[in-house]
Amino acid sequence: MKVDLPENMSMPAASPEIFQQLGTLTRQLHDTMNMLGVLPGLKNTADNLPDARSRLNYIATKTADAAEKVLNLVDTAKADQEHIASETRKLAALITADPVKAVASGAVFNFVQDVETVTHRVDGHLTDIMMAQDFHDLTGQVVAKVVRLANDLEAQLVKLLVQAAPPEQAHKVEAALTSQPAEHKLEGPVVDSEGRTDVVANQSEVDDLLASLGF
Amino acid sequence: MSNPVDMKFLIVDDFSTMRRIVRGLLKESGYTNAEEAEDGAVALNMLKNGKFDFVVSDINMPNMNGFELLKAIKSDDALKHLPVLMVTAEAKKEDIVLAAQTGAAGYIVKPFTKATLEEKVQKIMQKLAATA
Repeated sequence: MKVDLPENMSMPAASPEIFQQLGTLTRQLHDTMNMLGVLPGLKNTADNLPDARSRLNYIATKTADAAEKVLNLVDTAKADQEHIASETRKLAALITADPVKAVASGAVFNFVQDVETVTHRVDGHLTDIMMAQDFHDLTGQVVAKVVRLANDLEAQLVKLLVQAAPPEQAHKVEAALTSQPAEHKLEGPVVDSEGRTDVVANQSEVDDLLASLGF
Repeated sequence: MSNPVDMKFLIVDDFSTMRRIVRGLLKESGYTNAEEAEDGAVALNMLKNGKFDFVVSDINMPNMNGFELLKAIKSDDALKHLPVLMVTAEAKKEDIVLAAQTGAAGYIVKPFTKATLEEKVQKIMQKLAATA
């Protein structure tokens, strides 16, 4: 393993004897863990860590996208609101100055149409803001998977502890371990569908699959 | 079948945010009569003790998941006529096939759009009307 040291530090030269002893200890630890059956489990869990990393990235992306989308929609909705407020002030001034002219010139009718258009648009923005909250469900499921991975890692480390503990204490920990619930088979959101043929990437693929089955 | 807008929906999802989103979208489509359940077990109890016309269900839920709920509905003579639309993040093809074979009326993968939900609900409504 390569160790990166700060620039102002240098690794003290180890004597060949110490180096040899360290190597022997490492080999003994590796062989012992393999004999105890702990290393394969730990390796499997460690192999899942990159998956956990991509899941955490998925969460970061999803939450960032949702936040940006909501803020953009709020900006747009506020601009629409400001437009209506401004037009209201103008119309109020026109009506105050000459009510008949305000109606006859079409200013009142135009305003009513403007209000209808803008409120319809704002309603759309509000729906989009509501839809953007789906990140809570999707990231929540991904968080649950990462927590399960952390639990697996913990279980493997506890197993290691059991192997190394005195028998009277090992029984207690082992009993706690066997009471762990079975893993859930459902996968949750697909964080990276690239290169996978067992999942669909969008709704049209779902529809195509169902259509191919006659549904 | 009564007027579609009078139909009573049961929205099943363990995330309250998603239940509110689906409820809000159904309301925008004119379906204002909806109740919510946080998992399959609660939903099944509500279905057995109340009158519902349409179920929109997630799959990955605690206690009783969406597949178990779907199987329970389709194996109950009093409930099997209910259309069940799955709305889920489960994107595995085998899950979609299993849902269809178990009797789901439709399958939507999350994240979805308002248009997708409207289209699937409408399609199921049309099928119901044709068979009524």
